[in-house]
Amino acid sequence: MYQIHLFKDPRHFQILFQSSFLIYGVVFLHWSSPLWIYAAYFITGIVMHTICEAGFTTKQFPVFSSRWCTKWWMGMPSALISSYGLCLFLKTDMPEVAIAASAIAILSKYIIRINGKHLFNPSALGIVLAVLWSGKAWINPGQWGSGAFLLAGILTVGVIVVTKVQKLDVSLAFLGTYAILLFSRQALYLNWPIDFFTQTISTGAVLVFSFFMISDPKTTPNHPVARILWAMMVASIAFYMTSFRYIVGAPVFALVLSQMMVPLFDQLFRGTNFQWKHFTASTLKPAMS
Amino acid sequence: MKKQILRIVCLLFISPMLFSFCGIYVSKSDGTLKNKASQVILVRDGEQTVVTMYNDFKGNPKDFAMVVPVPVLLQRKDIRVVSPAIFQKLNAYSSPRLVEYYDENPCYGKWEDKESVNEKSIMVTSANSNPVAKKKNLGVTVEAQYLVGEYDILILSAKESSGLKTWLLENGYKIPSKAEEVLEPYIKSNLKFFVAKVNAKQAGKIQKGSFLSPLQISFSSPKFILPIRLGMANGDGDQDLIIYSFTRQGRIESVNYRNVEIPSGNNIPLFVKDNFDRFYGETFAHKWEQEGKNIALLEYAWDVTPVNPVKCDPCVGNPPVDQDIVQAGVWWLNNSNPQSNQHTFFTRLHVRYNRNSFPQDLQFQVTPNQTSFQARYVVTHPAEGDLTCDEGKVYLRELKGKRRKELRNLVSLTGSTVEDYLSNTEPDSDNDIAYQTLLPEVEQEKESERTIFPGLALMAVVLVTGAGLMRWKGLI
Repeated sequence: MYQIHLFKDPRHFQILFQSSFLIYGVVFLHWSSPLWIYAAYFITGIVMHTICEAGFTTKQFPVFSSRWCTKWWMGMPSALISSYGLCLFLKTDMPEVAIAASAIAILSKYIIRINGKHLFNPSALGIVLAVLWSGKAWINPGQWGSGAFLLAGILTVGVIVVTKVQKLDVSLAFLGTYAILLFSRQALYLNWPIDFFTQTISTGAVLVFSFFMISDPKTTPNHPVARILWAMMVASIAFYMTSFRYIVGAPVFALVLSQMMVPLFDQLFRGTNFQWKHFTASTLKPAMS
Repeated sequence: MKKQILRIVCLLFISPMLFSFCGIYVSKSDGTLKNKASQVILVRDGEQTVVTMYNDFKGNPKDFAMVVPVPVLLQRKDIRVVSPAIFQKLNAYSSPRLVEYYDENPCYGKWEDKESVNEKSIMVTSANSNPVAKKKNLGVTVEAQYLVGEYDILILSAKESSGLKTWLLENGYKIPSKAEEVLEPYIKSNLKFFVAKVNAKQAGKIQKGSFLSPLQISFSSPKFILPIRLGMANGDGDQDLIIYSFTRQGRIESVNYRNVEIPSGNNIPLFVKDNFDRFYGETFAHKWEQEGKNIALLEYAWDVTPVNPVKCDPCVGNPPVDQDIVQAGVWWLNNSNPQSNQHTFFTRLHVRYNRNSFPQDLQFQVTPNQTSFQARYVVTHPAEGDLTCDEGKVYLRELKGKRRKELRNLVSLTGSTVEDYLSNTEPDSDNDIAYQTLLPEVEQEKESERTIFPGLALMAVVLVTGAGLMRWKGLI
C-alpha cells in the first residue's frame, strides 16, 4: 500500500504542531504569561537533557564522543516535546517553579524507569508536581477558548491519518471514551443543550492532551489491546475527576495516575517495547529517548 | 521623563493620607454600560465560599423575588444581609480609571504636574419577580424557611423541572419561559434553589427609592460556579456581570472561558476626558467582540492584604478597609488571631454574556497569580505659555506626533472613528481643534474585527513553512 512518509520521525511532526499551537496561543489568544516562562522551560529542558545524557551515559559512549553526541542529538526532540508540553499547559509566575518543573520532567525519564521504559510522561509529571507540590503553578484549560480548535483537531487527525506519522489508537480510544462519557452525562443525563457538551470537548487542552501527551508511545502499554484499555481507563478517571470532583485539568492528573498502572498492563499483556525509528535504524543501543 | 519621575514619587508616598497628592478626584460619573448588569462578590478559600449578590431593584419591594441555584442546603446562619455600600466601595475602588498628566513648559525652568482621576461606574440591575404564595405537591420540597433582614427566604429542592417551574410560577416568580432546559440539569446536579422575596411586613418599612440589602450566603462546596444560565434561558440579549472576588492565594480565573486582560496604560486624546464613560464602554465592547465574545475580561487585580500599603496606583476611591472586606465575606480577616494568614487578593472580572456565547455556567478557580492589574488610561494636557524657545519648538513637534499616536490609540481601542467621536462634542478649545487638524493625517486603521481566524491562517502558514524547512533540511 502506498504511504506518504512526510515525517521520518513522529517527534518532528509533534514539534511542528506544538510550536504552531504555542504561537497561536501567545500571539492570538494573548496568553498573559510572561515570555521568560517559555524560555525557562526550553533552556532547562535542554540543559537537563544534556546533564542527564552525560550523567546516565553507558561506558560504551564516553561523554562528548561522537556517538554520545549522536545519541544526545537524537534525544533532543523528546526533550523539546516535554518543554512544549509544559509551555502549553503549565502557568506560573515564579521562575524557580518553571525551572523545577522542567528539570523534574526530564530527570524523571532517567530515574523513574520500570522494564526499560520510563514510567511517566515527562511533561505530565512536571505539571502535576508543580501544581500539587509548589502550589505556585496552575493549569487553565479555559486559556484555549473553544470552537476554533475543532478545526485544529480535524487538521491534526488529518495529518496523522495521511502521513501515518504516529499511532492513533491511544488518542482515539481516549478521546472517544472521554467524549462518550461526557456526552452521556452532560447531554443525555443532565440534559444540557448540546452546545454545553461541545464547549467542554472542543477546547485546545483536550486536543493537545489527546494527540501530543497521552499518545507518547514510550509511556503507554506495549500490547495493542492493553493500549486501548488503558486509554479508556485514563478517560474514565479524567471524566470522574472533572465531573464529580471538579478538578481543573483532570486529564493530566488522570494520566499520571494511570501511568503507574502501565507496568501492570505490560505484565498482563505481553508485547514489545516501543522504540523511536531513529534508534531502531541506527546501530545505537536503544535507550533513553 | 519628568512624568516618570512623578509616578515614582507617587508610588513612594502613596498612603491614605496622601491620595490627594497623587490623584485629584474629578467626578463620579453616572455613565452606564449598556444592557442589564449585575454585581456579585465571591470569596473563596479551599472549598469555603461566600457569595454576595447586589440588588438594585427599584420597584415596589413586594414585586421583588429572586431564584438562585445553590450547591448545598443552606442553614439560617449561612445567610445574612449586608449593606449595599460595600458594592459601591468596591466598584469605586476597582473601576477603570482615567489619569491626567500635565506637560510642563520646556521653556520654563519649573513645572507643575497634576494628576486627576476620573471614574467609570457601572449600572446594575438585578433579579426580577414576585412574592411567594401557597404550595402544591409538584415534587417541590421546601427544605427550609428563614426570615433574614427584609427577606423571606425559602430553600427548595425539586424532583423534576416542570414541577419546579409550575411551583415558581404559581408562587409569583417570573422565571423565563424556557427556564426548564436549565432547571432540569440543575435539579439532576443536586442543586438546591435559594428563593427570596421581601417580607410583607418589612416591605412597608422600606423607603421608596432605597435599595434592598444585598444577600450574602456562605457554604462549602468543591464547585466554584456562578450560575448565569438561568438568567439567559430566554436568550434575550447581552447581560453584564461584574465579579469582585477575594481569595487568600491570588487572582481568580474562569476555567471554561478565556480570560483576557482589558487593554490598559494607553495614552488617549485629551478630549476623551469628557467622554470617558463612552470611551470605556466602547473599549470594552470592542475588545469583547474582537476576542470572540465568550471571554471573561480582567479589569482589576491587586493585593489588598491589610498590611499592604499600596492598594492602587492611582486610586480612584478609598481602597476598601478591613471592615469593608470583612463585610464582603472575607472571614479570615475577622479572625482575632494575628498569627493567622490574613493575605487577601482582590480580582475584578467583567463578563458580558449571552445565550449563544455562553452555553455553560461560569466556572472559576483560584490561582496563585498575584500580578497586579488595573484598567488605566492616560490623557495629557499640553504645556501652556510661551513656547518660542528652541526646546519649545522641539516640544511642539513632538506634541504633534504624540497626538497622532493618541488618536490612533483611540481608534484601535474603541473601534470607532475619531470623527464619530468628535461629532458629539463641539470643539471648544484649542486642544480639540489641534486634534481635529491632525485628523486627515491619521490613517484610520480599521483593525480586523476578530483575530481568531487570521490566527488560524497564520498557524497554517507556520505549519507549511515549518514543513518546507524540514524538507530543505532533509528531515522529511
